[in-house]
Amino acid sequence: MSLSVDTVDIKEKIKSCKTLQDVEVIRLEYLGKKGLIPSQMKLLGKLSIEQKKIKGQELNNLKTLIEEVINDQKILIENTNIEKKLKTENIDVTLPHSEEVKGKVHPISQTIFNIIEIFGNLNYSVEAGPDIESDFNNFSALNIPPHHPAREMQDTFYINSNNEEDNVLRTHTSPVQVRTMLKSKPPIKIIVPGRTYRSDSDSTHTPMFHQVEGLVVNNDATMADLKSTLILFLKEFFEIDNLKYRFRPSYFPFTEPSAEMDVAYTKKNDVLKIGEGDDWLEILGCGMVNPKVLENCNIDSTIYQGFAFGMGIERLSMLKYGITDMRGLFDLNVKWLDHYGFSPLDIKTRSEI
Amino acid sequence: MKFTLSWLKDHLDTDKDLDTIVEKLTNIGLEIESVEDKSKTYSDFTVAEVLKAEKHPDADRLKVCTVKSINGTFQVVCGAPNARQGMKGIFAPENSFIPGTGVKLKKSKIRGVESCGMLVSEREMGISDEHEGIIEVASKYNLGEKFIEVFNLDDPVIEINITPNRGDCLSIRGIARDLAASGLGKLKENTLIKNIEGTFDSPVKWEKDFKDDEEYICPGVAGRYFKNVTNKESPAWLQQRLKAIGLRPISTLVDITNYITYDLGRPLHVYDADKINGNLKMRYAKAKENCLTLDEENRKCTTDMIVISDNKKLHGIGGVMGGLDSGCSLDTKNVFLEVALFDPISVTKTGRYLKLQSDARYRFERGIDPTSIEWGVQAATKMILDLCGGEVSNTVQTQVLKTKQKTINFDTNKIKSLGGVEVSKEKQKSILESLGFNVLEKNNTFNLIVPSFRPDIEGEADIVEEILRIYGFDKIPYINISDNNNKANVLSAELKSFYKIKRIIANTGYLEAVTWSFMDEKVAKLLSNNFIKIKNPISTDLNVMRPSNIPNLLTAINLNKSKMINSAKIFEVGPIFDHTLEDKQINVATGIGYGNILENNWNSENKDIDVFDIKSDLMQILKSLNTPIDNLNYELIDNKIFHPGKSSSLRIGQNIIANFGELNPILLKSLDISNSVVAFEIFTETLAQFQRKKDSTISAFDNNPFQAVERDFAFLLPKSVKANDIISKIKKINKKIINKVSIFDVYEGEKIKNDYKSIATRVLLQPLEKTFSDEEIEVISNQIIDTITTSFNATLRK
Repeated sequence: MSLSVDTVDIKEKIKSCKTLQDVEVIRLEYLGKKGLIPSQMKLLGKLSIEQKKIKGQELNNLKTLIEEVINDQKILIENTNIEKKLKTENIDVTLPHSEEVKGKVHPISQTIFNIIEIFGNLNYSVEAGPDIESDFNNFSALNIPPHHPAREMQDTFYINSNNEEDNVLRTHTSPVQVRTMLKSKPPIKIIVPGRTYRSDSDSTHTPMFHQVEGLVVNNDATMADLKSTLILFLKEFFEIDNLKYRFRPSYFPFTEPSAEMDVAYTKKNDVLKIGEGDDWLEILGCGMVNPKVLENCNIDSTIYQGFAFGMGIERLSMLKYGITDMRGLFDLNVKWLDHYGFSPLDIKTRSEI
Repeated sequence: MKFTLSWLKDHLDTDKDLDTIVEKLTNIGLEIESVEDKSKTYSDFTVAEVLKAEKHPDADRLKVCTVKSINGTFQVVCGAPNARQGMKGIFAPENSFIPGTGVKLKKSKIRGVESCGMLVSEREMGISDEHEGIIEVASKYNLGEKFIEVFNLDDPVIEINITPNRGDCLSIRGIARDLAASGLGKLKENTLIKNIEGTFDSPVKWEKDFKDDEEYICPGVAGRYFKNVTNKESPAWLQQRLKAIGLRPISTLVDITNYITYDLGRPLHVYDADKINGNLKMRYAKAKENCLTLDEENRKCTTDMIVISDNKKLHGIGGVMGGLDSGCSLDTKNVFLEVALFDPISVTKTGRYLKLQSDARYRFERGIDPTSIEWGVQAATKMILDLCGGEVSNTVQTQVLKTKQKTINFDTNKIKSLGGVEVSKEKQKSILESLGFNVLEKNNTFNLIVPSFRPDIEGEADIVEEILRIYGFDKIPYINISDNNNKANVLSAELKSFYKIKRIIANTGYLEAVTWSFMDEKVAKLLSNNFIKIKNPISTDLNVMRPSNIPNLLTAINLNKSKMINSAKIFEVGPIFDHTLEDKQINVATGIGYGNILENNWNSENKDIDVFDIKSDLMQILKSLNTPIDNLNYELIDNKIFHPGKSSSLRIGQNIIANFGELNPILLKSLDISNSVVAFEIFTETLAQFQRKKDSTISAFDNNPFQAVERDFAFLLPKSVKANDIISKIKKINKKIINKVSIFDVYEGEKIKNDYKSIATRVLLQPLEKTFSDEEIEVISNQIIDTITTSFNATLRK
């Protein structure tokens, strides 16, 4: 018995199919239960072992071939159908997309994050304390005597309270330094960002503002450490390597010696450029902690010494980000917040990742 | 503190130029506020002569002048009535900048006649309002002489900020002393301090009346009687100096007191002796006493004020201001002088109470050299006799309280150990001596006597400052400050959640704002009974500490309407205040949302942000801060901020973690807000407990290979049943197998009975050891159905 099938003929037959149904008809003809291949298989039992082997092989090869060709043809027909359909599917992709609402981080927060990052790398820890303070923490401990002008009603906000333990809206974040010294032993190395209040309101003063202060107390901190720390900070903060600065003597009741730091600037067409020029902008106050302050906070000033510094966060923000109107910082103008705000993923690290 | 360069040079022998002096002042702690150097502003303007002045051919009021200046002859068209042939005036050449008008002068044609330059008026020079005619100068001045020299404006005026500790530099002599110490020259001898003998006994005496333990209030007062003086306008040099620093010349006697106040830092007062009855006495004011002061105000005195009185009335308030009635006038013939010392705190209190600032108060508050009671009398005597003539009495004075000389033992190593810079002992000593210290050197210690004019110097730290500021803060070296010993955490868990939440909320689509910690009491009253009032608010609408952030954020709604911004998500992280809280405050991250956040887009759902949108934001935020949100318990909110039926508190353990929901329409109405607003409040400190996780504590991934199964159950339940209770009940049946319970449909309405709702849940079942059999699924399903139907009086919908 011989199989009188022409494989070329079968291939042609399959490839000429235009629809999946046509292919199915051919599949049934050869591979269906009653198709050619299965019926031929049934006849194999009557053959000799030798013959069975040869014939079986032949049939299997044929079966595989037909299966492959059918499968290929099926895919071809399917894809042709899809392509036909795609030609009819058109959308106007120029229609506007729905815009995801993006949040922003306020420039004051971004500045604080920045400051924390820089001092964090210098191994400072961040501390915080309450806005409503005692007279002792805000003034007396810091060697601000009772008749000091800063205590006048026009500078300090007072709240209605039954006692003097908590009746001052802190005028600086220094009371947190006092709290830290009272509760922990040197070495102390902290910065304190936070809200502060002074009864002052004009184009360059707001009744509430933010400060960051730093305090280092140990056995051997000197003015050289203080000056170097601040230079390093300002260079990193303003991202200017050859920042022109001035470190000059000043006065604060809580530090002795006291100093202030200015950075040079130029102003062209109302745009401020920090770091160069012949005009000076006062940027921070600092000094060696007055021994009286250490003693007021139960720290032995014959053993320990240290330095402190403080600066206004609004001013730093405005200078760094070119914000000209201080009051805008406390406004709820949505456009302003969006314009000056920072992407929450804009994280200032050295690698900038 | 203002002074002129020439005045400074009365005390300082120096050949340094203005720029050097100015830079040095700042470097030694006398910070420059401003320098007004007119020689630059006026360098172009010189004396010129009008050779010819003829009528303009086309204008009646104008003249065509031929002007001869040092640089040539120019044709100038001029409208001034006093422009005439032969006069001398001040010529402004082409391209010069006219200070009074702020205009750069250009060549121009005026009614057809060319005009090159200008003859200027006083107003155009910015020295007065005079504009009737052009400046005329006397014929003695030569062509080319500078305008500023003719008008004596060539003396630069310097203003410096004196820090409160440096009362001694509220005098030009004090400033000169500091500059001399810094190497800019030599301090000259003070020519005003000379002893002049009196020729008679004063008919008026000084008395004081304080209790023994209050002698310090007025440690002493001295004076002298001057008879037959002539009080007139001060000489030009004196007037010019006072004018240059912004003081108005009055009469010689008064001008002398002002001059010495600035020159030597020694306030004085002069009385018209003929208007005094009997002796003058320093004492506390009596109750209900008044004093008519020089500024013509009748001042009510309190019994802790120092006053000066004679037998009849008050003649001044000690250290603050003299009396009007006995003030010196041009008719004054006989004068009585006051040189007093007062307690700084007393003067401060009095001045504050009276809201009265004066040059005298300013100096007394900052401390005055106690030895000045002697040399102050001498200086005043010399000037009065020199300028007003007459005769002077012997000095009269009360007992003067002795001030103790202050001594400090200074370890010279302190400069290095505190200042961080090496300064030789010799240099240290010479600096201190030039500042007036008496230095006795013993090994590495200086025994110092502090000069009487430096009450601010109290200890070694002050001495370090004195030496370093003169030596130069710029010489303190820049050193390596890297520190590897102290690797503490940068942020505590509390602060980490406080700061980190800002980024996370912003990342959820909210704009961060910073608003006042204050708000209006009227609004605060709507929210809380425990708010904190400010005694001295900046304005009446900012008179309490905010008991919530929400009202401040709500002001955004109406504020942004005009810009057609009708939707927003805004947040603030900051304190809210309440009497009952520890520290009276707590940090809260507050967010509000209103309007159709996605705006109008053809492709997005057109609806306003609702409770479930903000809940979704809130949960995302909490989850980002590691809060186990599946453990949150829902509780009713008990306040006036949220809608009672559309809000909830979220609690874990003892702590309320957050509140969220729709805001109370009554609150919104009272703030004139017409749309509905949703909000959340997160109490950031409560999240601290979740912040300690380090990356390494993540549990191993459970790669369970068995086929998970989903089953849906729809229940009919009373409306009061909370969805979250259903979910947690189902989960509790078998936490290991029941991985997720979601609610995919909620229905209330006609198809089911009143007061009932239908909730459809989908439960994900994850087998642990082998694939579920049908029987096992059946068992769990029945458990779920039984639990819900019995717990909530529910029925399964089929």
